[in-house]
Amino acid sequence: MEDFEFLRNITIGQYLPGNSIVHRLDPRAKITIMLLMVLPITFSLSYVSNVILLLVSLGFVALSGISVRYILSGIKPALGLIIVLALLQLLFYGDSFVPPNMVSVTLFRWGIIHITNGSVQLVVVSTLRFLDLLFLASLLTNTTTTTELAHGTEDMLAPFSRLRIPGHELSLVLTIALRFVPILAEQLETIMKAQASRGADMGKGGKLQFIQTTRQVLVLLVPLFINSFRRAEDLILAMEARCYVGGRDRTRLVRLRLTRTDLLAMATVAAFAATMTLFPFPV
Amino acid sequence: MGTQFTVRRIVIAGVLAAIAILLGVTRLGFIPVPTPAGNATIMHVPAIIGGIMEGWLVGWIIGTIFGIFSFLQATVPLFKDPFVAILPRMFIGITAYFTYAGLKNFNESGALIIAAAIGTLTNTVLVLGMAVVRGYMAPSVAVGVGITHGLPEIVVAALVTWAVVVAWKRIKTGRDKARI
Repeated sequence: MEDFEFLRNITIGQYLPGNSIVHRLDPRAKITIMLLMVLPITFSLSYVSNVILLLVSLGFVALSGISVRYILSGIKPALGLIIVLALLQLLFYGDSFVPPNMVSVTLFRWGIIHITNGSVQLVVVSTLRFLDLLFLASLLTNTTTTTELAHGTEDMLAPFSRLRIPGHELSLVLTIALRFVPILAEQLETIMKAQASRGADMGKGGKLQFIQTTRQVLVLLVPLFINSFRRAEDLILAMEARCYVGGRDRTRLVRLRLTRTDLLAMATVAAFAATMTLFPFPV
Repeated sequence: MGTQFTVRRIVIAGVLAAIAILLGVTRLGFIPVPTPAGNATIMHVPAIIGGIMEGWLVGWIIGTIFGIFSFLQATVPLFKDPFVAILPRMFIGITAYFTYAGLKNFNESGALIIAAAIGTLTNTVLVLGMAVVRGYMAPSVAVGVGITHGLPEIVVAALVTWAVVVAWKRIKTGRDKARI
């Protein structure tokens, strides 16, 4: 029966309550900091800058009081795949990538296997980059409730309404999506039990029975989609019956306010991110 | 279809994005196949269906939300890169919508299947393309992954899309009762 229980496995935006400085930051500040940090992380290719970025990300985790082990526990199931991908990258990338300011040096060559200083650097940098982003993304979802995230996104998109970007509507889509995930998970459980009670074999068919697995998934997916369309129609009717109008003149119960700490944190990270992106690291 | 946000479009986009998220977290969206990476994905199907049913705007939103969640939830370096996880996914629903809109007058079922195939190809080609550009995969490896994963994904996506849209249209027009 455990195979059918999905609700307990849903960990997106798993909010861990707390009262650390990271928890107390305004959601807009947290989203801004995350976006600012993504910039140097995705663009820097040097060893030194990536180590600095990893240390800073670990510093943020330390500030939040969330344990590093908890965050890392999420990647345990994928460890094998991570290693396979890293090996593929290391063995076959060859000299397609040459680090800036350097010449390509072949470290090892045997048949199609070709390891260069470039491919080693790529593997190291992409592993560090992965860890940085894993820490930052987990930090954002672990210290911020989904409501705060939706409000934060809406407020951040508000200045763009002059460019006819509908921030309110977009954040409403996000709120509906997050609200519907547990409802649909419950629905999916019901469908699975219904199909299993009619004799459908819900055990995975294994890697070679790809057609069977597809058919198993199909008898779940079609009812799931149809059911969610029905629920969507109900919600549409309810919203239209109440004359829902989005946009500028709506007010909200919770108003976000930026404090001095938020501004200071954003300014510091902005300065740091700019330095890291623009500074020419030698290695 | 225009670019206006109607109540209908907001709700359908939200609900289909919820399905995309759900497929990701329950592992139902991964179908085991005999290749090194092990899984073909169908998590992009809600974006295709949204694009076909409610236009490119809805498809774009669902794709973007799917991308953001696959980025936040990623457990492998490749998808912890926003250029691989988010950017390519924005286009799934858009290409699917324009394919469907262009072909539906010839043959409805055919248009659905081709639109699903094009939407899936958009996902596969752009994600692997970005993986090569960002240095996660050698071009030859990417082509191999593309062929071994792209083909089963196209077949599954086309099946699911066709089954869902046809079932829903029959129910909606009252021509047939739900036979699920």
